[in-house]
Amino acid sequence: MTYNIMLQSTLSGSGKSLIAAAICRYFHKRGYEVSPFKSLNISLNSYITPDGREIGMSQAFQSWACGKEPCHQMNPILLKATGNRASQAIVNGVPRKEFERHGKEGPVTPILERAYRYLEERNDIIVIEGSGTPSEINLNDIANMNTAELFKSPVILIGDIDTGGVFAGLYGTYQLLSEEHKRLIKGYIINKFRGDPSILGSGITRLEKELKAPCLGVMTYQCYSFPEEDSLSMGGPQRGGSPGGDVRDIWLRNLDTFLETMEKEIKFDQLENIMRGGV
Amino acid sequence: MESIKKKVISQFRRGAIDSNLECSYYPCHFYDQNCTHCFCPFYPCEDEELGTYITGRTGKRVWSCQQCYWIHRDDVAKECIGRFDGKDWGSMPMDDRLKIKAEIEQMHFKSARPLMVLGTTSGAGKSLIVAALCRIFSDMGYTVTPYKSQNMSLNSFVTKRGEEIARIQDLQARAARVEPRSQMNPILLKPLRDDVSQVIVYGVPYGDMDVGTYYNEFIPAKGNDILRSSLKFLAKTNDIIIMEGAGSPAEINISEFEIANLKAAEVADAPCILVVNIERGGAFAYLYGTVRILDEGSQKMIKGAIINNMRGDPDSLSTGIREIEKMLDMPVLGIVPHLDLDLPSEDSMDIRDSPTPSRFTVGVVRLPRISNFTDFDALNLMEDIKVRYINAPSDASGVDALILPGTKSTIEDLIWLREKGFEKVIRELHGKVPIFGICGGYQMLGKSIIDINSIESDTKETEGLGLLNGVTYFDKYEKSTAQVEGHLQLDPLKRRIRGYEIHMGQTENKLDPPLNRIRAKGKNREDGAYDADMKVYGTYLHGFFDLPPARDLLLSLMGSTEREKGEDGDEGEYDDIVERNLGYLADAIRASIDLESLRKIMGVRP
Repeated sequence: MTYNIMLQSTLSGSGKSLIAAAICRYFHKRGYEVSPFKSLNISLNSYITPDGREIGMSQAFQSWACGKEPCHQMNPILLKATGNRASQAIVNGVPRKEFERHGKEGPVTPILERAYRYLEERNDIIVIEGSGTPSEINLNDIANMNTAELFKSPVILIGDIDTGGVFAGLYGTYQLLSEEHKRLIKGYIINKFRGDPSILGSGITRLEKELKAPCLGVMTYQCYSFPEEDSLSMGGPQRGGSPGGDVRDIWLRNLDTFLETMEKEIKFDQLENIMRGGV
Repeated sequence: MESIKKKVISQFRRGAIDSNLECSYYPCHFYDQNCTHCFCPFYPCEDEELGTYITGRTGKRVWSCQQCYWIHRDDVAKECIGRFDGKDWGSMPMDDRLKIKAEIEQMHFKSARPLMVLGTTSGAGKSLIVAALCRIFSDMGYTVTPYKSQNMSLNSFVTKRGEEIARIQDLQARAARVEPRSQMNPILLKPLRDDVSQVIVYGVPYGDMDVGTYYNEFIPAKGNDILRSSLKFLAKTNDIIIMEGAGSPAEINISEFEIANLKAAEVADAPCILVVNIERGGAFAYLYGTVRILDEGSQKMIKGAIINNMRGDPDSLSTGIREIEKMLDMPVLGIVPHLDLDLPSEDSMDIRDSPTPSRFTVGVVRLPRISNFTDFDALNLMEDIKVRYINAPSDASGVDALILPGTKSTIEDLIWLREKGFEKVIRELHGKVPIFGICGGYQMLGKSIIDINSIESDTKETEGLGLLNGVTYFDKYEKSTAQVEGHLQLDPLKRRIRGYEIHMGQTENKLDPPLNRIRAKGKNREDGAYDADMKVYGTYLHGFFDLPPARDLLLSLMGSTEREKGEDGDEGEYDDIVERNLGYLADAIRASIDLESLRKIMGVRP
């Protein structure tokens, strides 16, 4: 039996890639075979797998966190914006000029299915990352709730408190979902907090009631260097490095430090319970 | 009364005298008041909005103008002189004079019309929208002021009177074409260390406080008074107040302590509009959540929304907009496109003024389609290096090295580079500081880019920057993707480097020596090119700086470079840039927002 858990967020750049990497790392360190998965990635930062396939940089990093080299199944579709509102589509790690983005009923589902099943056969746990936010009411969105439905994954919603409005963002994201998608949300996390978290108490309680799901924790803002995939996070503050080494080792070392703090802040037992189908 | 009339007549003969600094009573109403009408031509107007009857020392009822600022506003004073121009003032009946007063009031309100601009998050773009609205209403002839009750920022500005306020209110005041003053930002919090800020009230340091003291003691004791007094002053001296909120109004855990958003709007009786930044997605969710999580009374104060920072086609949002308008029962007043402006935003200013200076600054040109900028993480982690992403050629001044990064579209970004005026800067730096090109940036450094089959763009041949001799051919729709290993030719120790190639197109260069010897897909070959004399280096390898050898090369090149630090340009030049960009900003907002509806919300006639 392979278990899975999916991370979605109220906006892009909320830190879900990193949290996914940390969750991968957490279970990898406990002896599980773990793999990251992201149906569709929209990013210009990519990585080349040992067999020459191209995937999103975040999945490569998450894969290293699982103690393995990345493979293209971890990110079956990668869209690279070429300007003028066009994108280059990389499918299974190979550019496909003719490929266009389809809805759920289009040819995308079999691609996702094949990639996911490949990983499922080889792993105990799959940590799935959504793309952007599930609340875009103007888009037909395959990377978030459709993926969760397809692979029957419980969803953890991540809110970014760094720029404020986190309760509004979580509440609004939840409210704009359909009734059946609302039911997939099993918990939420507040990320990038600075200061004393007790100040959030009344807001957290109210949100638990509104979302009918528990808050798994409030994560402190930690600005270590990790490979970012979003151009919006460029030029931000970074630390946690020393000259002279391999930056990949530095990234993983930073991830371990990050996870150390995260384990104090996130109820991992509750998260694992949700992953195993409990409430 | 006759003696007052005489004095008034003599005032009109003198014309506008502005502030009478020699008067021993100055400022009898407010600092920088216009003293022309020391004796008011409308006295006694008996307008309860401006003055009141008091009982004088002799027991007589006297009309008091003590609280009236209106006639001492510069705009009103000058308008008044214009209106009476050439008329026989002394024989004009009071009714006729009051008609003139009523006419002036049509434009110069006795109490300013406020508008509060709220944001769903910080960085929603409130500050610049406030600046744009200040400029737009100023262009219409109104006297406008910006306002933000409480600002947290390390970037402050000192007014002519020596008051310290947030820098962004100075920019907004420039947009409004008024002199900045402390009432525009009566509380400024300057973070000192974790949880402790210096609190500046009306431009003067008040004390250092932690968050608890500030919200539990200072705000309950002083907050309301400061809000009321600052807003009252601005309302009496302006036609329009464009107020800016702070962060999000929907912080349900602290709403009772909060004075920067709905509380300020309530005190000013200001209708609110809500701005959301769509750049990171979730715009509809944030709009919906921000409004609907508030209590009902507060929900009613919000009259419209603005979607900010839209890249791409705004029409793609139309179904979402229709839905959200229906759900929230309020109009979306406009979709503001993403704007590339040379204006400081509050947030970016904080990043730019990084407190820890590094020895070297490496400039990375922020191409519109920049790819794999994780390449520069390794540089940023070094103590000696600060990576600066460069949006405009002027930002390149003072860099110790310049990097052209990877791009998804070499040709289009090269065209962008030229249009933006980067080519001139690159030529100026050529030979003086090291210039690196990675992948697409390497292709740009060559002589030309040939795209016969329109693989990348419709331009068959594009002239490169010519800093290297390579020619890049886009022959086929084929992408080179490979992990590679090797070493730098220039590294005597032949230490290992590692990277990966992701590119369309191939570069031929028989004149310059190759930069790297690499092994890819089981084959040995060369990569990149360099010109040591002119310090130009190009490679296809992403992750080039991940291991030490390439970083060492860059450091040694920068270390051996003796340059003069670039001048930052004089003040006048900066003013011109700000002025020009405020104009662009106002034009863009005018073109994208339904100002007619906004005016109705504010109760301001065209």
